[in-house]
Amino acid sequence: MTRQYEAVYVFDSTLEDAAITDKLGRFHGLLGNPADLKLDHWGRRQLAYPIGRRESGYYVVARFDADAAALPEYERAIKLDDGIVRHLITVFEHEVGAPPMTEEELAAAARRREEEDEDEE
Amino acid sequence: MNMRRPNKTCPFCETRVRFVDYKDDRTLGRFITDHGKILPSRLSGVCSRHQRQLSTAIKRARYLALIPYIRGMQS
Repeated sequence: MTRQYEAVYVFDSTLEDAAITDKLGRFHGLLGNPADLKLDHWGRRQLAYPIGRRESGYYVVARFDADAAALPEYERAIKLDDGIVRHLITVFEHEVGAPPMTEEELAAAARRREEEDEDEE
Repeated sequence: MNMRRPNKTCPFCETRVRFVDYKDDRTLGRFITDHGKILPSRLSGVCSRHQRQLSTAIKRARYLALIPYIRGMQS
């Protein structure tokens, strides 16, 4: 079964850009080079807290469709890679362009809030 | 005596957010205290559904070093 996943990689900021692209290519090759791969390079940014001696990291966000069976091999390759400081793979649930809450839903939420308030009294 | 809390509206419902994004560190930063703790919904007015999403999002963002685990503490 294929599902849409989102992966965030934090690379060591001392890596060359070419090396990062190379690594990304290798990881996504393990997934069979998904056709709908979307990559978003945030670039180098300051880490909120030092990890080891590193103060900054190179962030890349990837979104792809993949078969669940292909994931363990892919994640293993990421874990073994020394150039990656942190990574997070999540099931992508944010459906781009998901319809915002409709008027009815908002009204229903407001009603629920009012009911809760009445209970408190 | 009026024990009722003032009605606050959820900032996520107001902007019609479906899913709280763990990558949006600027938004998440509004819902943590000066020390980096998750702000309780009774102070922020976030509805329970979004508060659950928010707590997961903050924990994910902390792991990715987008927001700190602790802040403003003397080491």
